[in-house]
Amino acid sequence: MQKFIENLESKMGPLAMKLDGNRYITAIKDGFFGVMSLLIIGSIFLLLGNIPIGGYAEFMSSLLGKDWASYFTVPYDVTMNVMTVYVIIAMARSLSRTYKLDGIACISIVVVAFLILTPMLELKDGGLGIPVTNLGASGLFLGMIVAIAAVEIVRFIDKKGWKIKMPDSVPENVARSFSALIPALFVIIVFNLVRIIFSLTSFGTVQAFIYHYLQVPLLYLGDTLPATLIVTVFEGVLWSFGIHGSNVVSGIMKPIWLALTADNAAAFGAGEAIPHIINFQFYANFMKVGGFGGTLGLAIILLLFAKSKQYKTLGKLAIGPGIFGINEPLIFGIPIVLNPIMMIPFILNPLILATVAYFAMASGIVPLTNGTNIPWTTPPIIAGFLVSGWKGALLNVVQIGISILLYYPFFKSVDRIALQNEKEQEKTEISNDGGVNFN
Amino acid sequence: MKTVMLVCAAGMSTSLLVTKMRRVAQAKGLDITIFAVSATEIDDVLETRQVDALLLGPQVKFRREEIEARLQGKNILLDEINIQHYGMMDGEKVLNQALSLVGS
Repeated sequence: MQKFIENLESKMGPLAMKLDGNRYITAIKDGFFGVMSLLIIGSIFLLLGNIPIGGYAEFMSSLLGKDWASYFTVPYDVTMNVMTVYVIIAMARSLSRTYKLDGIACISIVVVAFLILTPMLELKDGGLGIPVTNLGASGLFLGMIVAIAAVEIVRFIDKKGWKIKMPDSVPENVARSFSALIPALFVIIVFNLVRIIFSLTSFGTVQAFIYHYLQVPLLYLGDTLPATLIVTVFEGVLWSFGIHGSNVVSGIMKPIWLALTADNAAAFGAGEAIPHIINFQFYANFMKVGGFGGTLGLAIILLLFAKSKQYKTLGKLAIGPGIFGINEPLIFGIPIVLNPIMMIPFILNPLILATVAYFAMASGIVPLTNGTNIPWTTPPIIAGFLVSGWKGALLNVVQIGISILLYYPFFKSVDRIALQNEKEQEKTEISNDGGVNFN
Repeated sequence: MKTVMLVCAAGMSTSLLVTKMRRVAQAKGLDITIFAVSATEIDDVLETRQVDALLLGPQVKFRREEIEARLQGKNILLDEINIQHYGMMDGEKVLNQALSLVGS
């Protein structure tokens, strides 16, 4: 058994490394890292405009006038609804770092490339406009591909050394803007060609093509329970080997989950029916209850029911962070890592929690998550309330209860072993002291 | 004055450890700066701060090689935080690990 685990462990590390260390996935992660704080703030405004408490709307209009909701939707509109712009900027920067290219040049070139492929409309009065939705979630996958492709072109040209070299006497900033000319020219020519080609096809725009053939299927898949469960097992197995499974998984799933969240948010803001059960809010608040593995229940068990000194101490230590979704003290302290007994509930629990929450929403008992991006560290129950109302809060309570029931027998056996070890250690200490021998 | 940087995934779990380490360091009167960042922020931080040692959280130690590559040419010592000490958030033991790296 030990051999098997060691074998698996030696494979897990490199696998996780391949996924997490992959420069494109890193770029995507960096892209979202930069945008998350904007999304959270935008969501707060969306929430403020739509708090699901009776009487709120009337109160606000008496305070701020008939148009009060519009005061809150603008910050939401320019963050959540335009998220792709921020994501590609952060991605361009990340890739420019990886390839040691000029950051500003890469960012500008990527934005230009993206705008070339973004359909524009002629306004009634003759001006040009960009439909904002193309800059939001529906343009997300196109944006990610553009960011990667454009920087790769820049890198290719940089490697070939095709650049306008200025004499040394020219100030550095001026020289830099000239050296960015050739890559920018190439990128613009390439992307313009792509745009023209697609405009001659039935798709019309690259965006429509990517959206229908890549984004929609991926989102469809991401919104299903089976796909989510498979991803969760993978995440749990990685964690069980001490690898940050959530990091690896979210690098791949976040774009999909956030696009689903954005859809929900748009529906929520427009007062329409919310489309997707599974999305980032579902994952963060109805699966990771207290952290991956639904460990808040486990933390509570340690705090209230641990008998060994080791776990009593750990319980006091882990409950604080556990409430905020940080469970490394439990994962490495019990430990859950490489612990066959604890691995079982650790991987099973999120699967159960996800299934319970999914059917609670599919059957209409609990409202679907409203698409507001609250910080992932928001404590359960409060988080459930913010995304799904008081029924969501109740669902969180039920989930904590399920977690406690599931973890209890497994933890108890681990606790028993620890208590046994502690007692034996005391015995050897007493007999080593040269005192009375109790056995 | 020595500077020690802890790295994990979001900078959250290590920041718990940092608070405890700082308390011990202060009680001992040590001249040492300790802070935590997420793995994504390493490059940014290293651009503006002088760091003597980098301690990796166990859940990101599989990224060690990639991170070491980024430290090329900088005189920064790297080590992985002992798993047991990390799990128990033992500020004193991890501080000792840091001190054995940078010397006090």
